[in-house]
Amino acid sequence: MKFFFHIGRYFVMLKKVFARPEKYRMYIRQLFHEIENLGLNSIGIVVIISVFIGGIMVIQFAYNMANPLYPSELVGLGTRDTLLLEFSSTMLALIMAGKIGSNITSEIGTMRVTEQIDSLEIMGVNSASYIILPKIVAVVFIFPFLYILSVFFGLVGGLFTGILSDVVTMKDYIDGIQFLFIPYYVMFSIIKTLVFGFLVASVPAYFGYYVQGGALEVGKASTRAVVNTNILILFFDLILTRLLLA
Amino acid sequence: MIEVKNLYKSFDGNNMVLKNVSAVFEKGKTNLIIGKSGSGKTVLLKSILGIYDVDEGEIWYNDRNFLLADDKERKKLRQEIGMVFQGGALFDSITVADNIRFPLEMFTNMTAKEKSHRVQSCLERVNIERQAFKLFPNEISGGMQKRVSIARAIALNPKYLFCDEPNSGLDPETATVIDNLIHAITKEFEITTIINTHDMNSVIEIGESILFISKGEQEWTGTKHEVLNSGNQKLDDFIFANKLYSKMKK
Repeated sequence: MKFFFHIGRYFVMLKKVFARPEKYRMYIRQLFHEIENLGLNSIGIVVIISVFIGGIMVIQFAYNMANPLYPSELVGLGTRDTLLLEFSSTMLALIMAGKIGSNITSEIGTMRVTEQIDSLEIMGVNSASYIILPKIVAVVFIFPFLYILSVFFGLVGGLFTGILSDVVTMKDYIDGIQFLFIPYYVMFSIIKTLVFGFLVASVPAYFGYYVQGGALEVGKASTRAVVNTNILILFFDLILTRLLLA
Repeated sequence: MIEVKNLYKSFDGNNMVLKNVSAVFEKGKTNLIIGKSGSGKTVLLKSILGIYDVDEGEIWYNDRNFLLADDKERKKLRQEIGMVFQGGALFDSITVADNIRFPLEMFTNMTAKEKSHRVQSCLERVNIERQAFKLFPNEISGGMQKRVSIARAIALNPKYLFCDEPNSGLDPETATVIDNLIHAITKEFEITTIINTHDMNSVIEIGESILFISKGEQEWTGTKHEVLNSGNQKLDDFIFANKLYSKMKK
């Protein structure tokens, strides 16, 4: 029963979030602030993780294909497709759920327990819309860019690791990442990132917006938000893969 | 003027927090709601503000029935309300000056110059020095936060001012300053002010109209001149728990 209560309240919150803004200028200012806070400040971690994962993939592909019958171009191809299809969309969304999601829950939760949200409501501001809408728009907007950045740096990380560890030549790797390229994979993953971006912003916002109590509850809500967002990302990954790829 | 009639409020359907509360809060007066912790003061205040939905009763802002008002009317009415929260509730990601500027940007079409002028006059009215304008709320003292909160509450020239335990956590001297400031602003702008407190100093200083609540029920109404000799046992227990007031009475 509690599950249905949360589902219902989540959609009630979304209805408030997508109400007509009081003053567009204020919302647009908030949007730019959130793009910087949630998006641009995440570029560093996306680049670092992607470079290392790209490198690890190359080593693992090379290890598993250490057979003279397999062409070494398969290392680049395998790395590219893994990054394009799963890592840079799904895995990155799971990582961002931890970074961005906990940030959103703790920020909104703190606003709730320090009565800042009540203060907005009493002024006549739609607090859900003013606080949450710019975050959702910012994350949905920035996620595809983070995806593209992640694919690029994953491939670069793979290239350098492949050359430095002498498991694949530069020519074979680059031939591999160009071989049998299917542009639809990019479209498919961008669709996924839009859905994941929405989940990464809206689910933690829900947990923060309805938190009750004090600092301890805000911490617990952050944990719950990250766990639930991760489960939903994997669930929607399954559904979208089935719908768009199968 | 604000009037509440036969207000009932419960949580989860069975925990009755307010039971048949009726009161009139007059314009240009500091109206106090007093009572022990957990007596229902904050619930009453938040019910009047519409943060909590009441089970039964009426809430009138002059001739407007708040509970029958639609969302649009409520929004309009809320722009006539200023609120000072117990913890200040200042937006901690923006500066002191921007906290005052926020309602002006959201609800007025003032020019940048007019807004700056209004911000300055509100902050000066509550005696905030210029060098604090650009500080963030966590960089100023608790007393200053309360004063900034008052400045934000009066930024839109409200008709109604609500204060939830405005001097809790403050030293006696600063608490008196805050009380006197709220009282002076109430007189200056002819506002209907409702203060929620359990501080007896506030009651004696500025209690022009007092509503005493015990266990969610309205127990006594009167003024600061009558409060020490009310003849109400529950009110006496509340007041004279402090030995100082027992001595004052004697």
